[in-house]
Amino acid sequence: MSAHDQHGSGRTGPRPRRARLLAAAGAAAFLLASGAVTPSAPAARAADGDQGQKKVLTVAVAQSVDSLSPFLAVRLLSTSIHRLTYEYLTNYDPKDNHVIPGLATEWKSSPDKLTWTYTIRSDSTWSDGEQATAEDAAWTFNKMMTDDGAATANGSFVTNFEKVTAPSPTQLVIRLKKPQATMTALDVPIVPKHVWEKVGDFSKFNNDKTFPVVGNGPFVLTDYEPDSYVRLAANKDYWRGAPKFDELVFRYYKDQDAAVAALRKGEVSFVAGSPSLTPAQAASLKEDENIHVNDAPGRRFYALATNPGARAKDGTEIGDGHPSLLDQRVRHALFMAVDRKAIVDKVFQGHAVEGEGYIPPRFSQYFFEPSAEQELAYDPAEATRLLDEAGYRKNADGKRVDKDGEPLNYRVLCHATDPNDKAVGKYLQEWWGELGISMTLDCRDNVTDPWLAGEYDLAFDGWSVNPDPDFVLSIHTCAALPATPKDTGATDNFICDEKYDELYARQLGEYDAGKRTEIVKQMQSRLYDLGYMNVMAYPNAVEAYRKDHIESITTMPSSAGNIYGQDGYWSWWSAVPADSGDSSGDSSSTAVVIWVAAGGAVLVGLAVLFALRRRASADERE
Amino acid sequence: MTAEKAETTASDAIAGTTEGPAAPGPRALARRRRRASVARFWREFRRHRAGVFGLAALVLFVLVALTAPLTVGSDVESVTDAPGRPLESPSGQFPLGTDQFGRSLLGLLVWGSRVSLLVGLLAAALSVTIGALIGITAGHFRGWYATVMMRITDWFLVMPTLVLAIVLATVLSRSLGTIVLAIGVTTWPTTARLVRAQTLAVESRPYIERAKALGGGHWHIMSRHVLPNVMPLVLAQTTLIISSAILAEATLAFLGLGDPTVVSWGGLLQDAREAGSVSSGDWWYLMPPGVGIAAVALAFTLCGRAVEAVLNPRLGVSR
Repeated sequence: MSAHDQHGSGRTGPRPRRARLLAAAGAAAFLLASGAVTPSAPAARAADGDQGQKKVLTVAVAQSVDSLSPFLAVRLLSTSIHRLTYEYLTNYDPKDNHVIPGLATEWKSSPDKLTWTYTIRSDSTWSDGEQATAEDAAWTFNKMMTDDGAATANGSFVTNFEKVTAPSPTQLVIRLKKPQATMTALDVPIVPKHVWEKVGDFSKFNNDKTFPVVGNGPFVLTDYEPDSYVRLAANKDYWRGAPKFDELVFRYYKDQDAAVAALRKGEVSFVAGSPSLTPAQAASLKEDENIHVNDAPGRRFYALATNPGARAKDGTEIGDGHPSLLDQRVRHALFMAVDRKAIVDKVFQGHAVEGEGYIPPRFSQYFFEPSAEQELAYDPAEATRLLDEAGYRKNADGKRVDKDGEPLNYRVLCHATDPNDKAVGKYLQEWWGELGISMTLDCRDNVTDPWLAGEYDLAFDGWSVNPDPDFVLSIHTCAALPATPKDTGATDNFICDEKYDELYARQLGEYDAGKRTEIVKQMQSRLYDLGYMNVMAYPNAVEAYRKDHIESITTMPSSAGNIYGQDGYWSWWSAVPADSGDSSGDSSSTAVVIWVAAGGAVLVGLAVLFALRRRASADERE
Repeated sequence: MTAEKAETTASDAIAGTTEGPAAPGPRALARRRRRASVARFWREFRRHRAGVFGLAALVLFVLVALTAPLTVGSDVESVTDAPGRPLESPSGQFPLGTDQFGRSLLGLLVWGSRVSLLVGLLAAALSVTIGALIGITAGHFRGWYATVMMRITDWFLVMPTLVLAIVLATVLSRSLGTIVLAIGVTTWPTTARLVRAQTLAVESRPYIERAKALGGGHWHIMSRHVLPNVMPLVLAQTTLIISSAILAEATLAFLGLGDPTVVSWGGLLQDAREAGSVSSGDWWYLMPPGVGIAAVALAFTLCGRAVEAVLNPRLGVSR
């Protein structure tokens, strides 16, 4: 591109023009070849001036903050920060995800299942010295129930609340409309009433103007620069014990390669596995003796969603999903042609677990495996049979056609930002091509618009699952559909199935953990049979940290768990600084040096070529 | 200058006929004249060593691209039957190593050259066609039409080309056609300006006036008198634009705006970056496509410069 722009200007000096052109062509090609080898975010470096005394843990994240207000934030980074700076009623045990006390020390429900009473701890203080009380919790919930702006992020938790009161500073009473099994998993940050009652418009207040932000978690938010960094200081008076690091910095790296380079150089101590490090990055980081690569079973499922004939609650059809996909046999045939083992081996290169039911095996109690006769195992022959049976036969060109003789061609919506989507897309194209079905991989930066409009046939889909599966189950109920085509519903894939809805309602009202687990598994079984959500894999969270910065850190679950994006603050709260923090990994940077040298050689070659040409024409130049 | 040349060619030929023994027909005459000018062009071109070098490189690249279906075949694209393990370093079996799916990178490089060259050529053809059309008509008709066309050209000229191409490639669906279109409609303004200037110069000559006096219409003048005279300029411009079109294609593919299921050099670079081979030091994944892009762009540029120097005496005096 740049080469072309050069010759717009005048036609006077031909020789120098050639010089610029050559150099520009070479430079552009070199830039292309070297990609984004330069770290892009050194700006926040200056802010780390007094690193010497304080023990700072710097985490490279690939996500920017959407909002620092607990009422608005939905991104993983922002909600992780809220975990660190505010106390929730309950927390999850790092060993096995069971519910443990947070701001509430104990809780009980009334015999009619509709009244929950929480005892609030008395040893938690806000960072401005005030005591954190039940009054703060009641105010937070009441605000979300009465102000739509405050219900943006976590409103779904309080829709079933009738009344929330605080009869005493240590007692919180929540009255429900209907029984709700998720009352010990209310992932809502409790904010200080005396600070937040001064806020006017909750839908606009981002909590990023005055620092430090008053909180009562293990860390206090002290500084924030949009798209650059978030700084947190340790709360030395934290009731569970002070964190070992003095400061925690989340630094934003748009490019994962740049983050890896920063980790190699020791500029950051940790690279978050969200998105995961690529297999190539993980393999090369493993060779560095100062770096530990944590390859943990992930919280996500990675699925192929099928458009079930998207419609709104009022029955109006939305979008233009392919009618052939309404036939369950076609959906099953498509998925039976997918070799999930190959996807795990080739695309994820082992950094994933083969897909089964809906909830990842990491949450072992809810994990569902389809029975042998139910399972849609890789079987292209059976897929061919199902398609023939459904009436989609091959024509003379070997393409499967529908009743009108039109060849089947599915649009598969993929995230342009996710390399895995594109890679799996290539495999799908070949597998389905053998069935006689063609597909168009429709990769977009913004998949939300065509998705909400129902303008897709299949789509790559994935959600992070919480210890309590209620949310990821709720997004497939009829209640989550948009009210009219103009509205936006909470639905994931427009699924609406009566049997599934009935099971959903039953699990929500079931307070017996064992019975609820059983219903949740039945729901997954139903979802599996419907064939609208085909889970291909559970990708691992692949992340890395410097062993010479961090001596130890808690994973969740403690055996083979992840570090970044936990359901709790365990990792950063428990991280122990290593003694020597200033040796950097020279061994591994040699590869980069070779690289740059090779690129430089090309440039030098071009320069020499150009110089020779110039000398040859020296006598002719004006 | 090119026009003068064309005129001399014509007068030479006419002189030839008067002296020649048996007067050949006008067709044969024209043919002989063209043959002579091609031969002279080639004689001149040969003197530019860099140009010959560029041409040789180009012929090589085109041969490689055209024979790709015979040498590597479309099987090289297949991910399900990939022969190697992911990201193998160069070896006897895979001279340039393998990519993240275990496909041979040498094969992909050869296969990808087809798309890169094709898009480069098509985009350059589109760009030059638009440019020549607007340039000639604006130079011929003058008046309000020329003013409007030239202001539009100016507008496109000051638009950052890459940004505009990115916007176009984002808005339209992802396919090769989109990329060709995005590059074509963003790179024509320089050609339009050059062609218009040349058209103005040609149209001020007396023989155009003669043609008009003899009843030559707009179409006749533009197609029979102006076009042949701006053709050399257009040709030179084409070869130069091809190199930037190839770079642009690679840039767009690298930015992830190409069709992800089509193998091209820019796409290979994008795949390499997404696989994290920059930070893991898998140079064999990044280097070959980058060098390929640079080499082809350089070859076209060298070639185009030489053509320009031959056709435009003001640029390169004989050497």
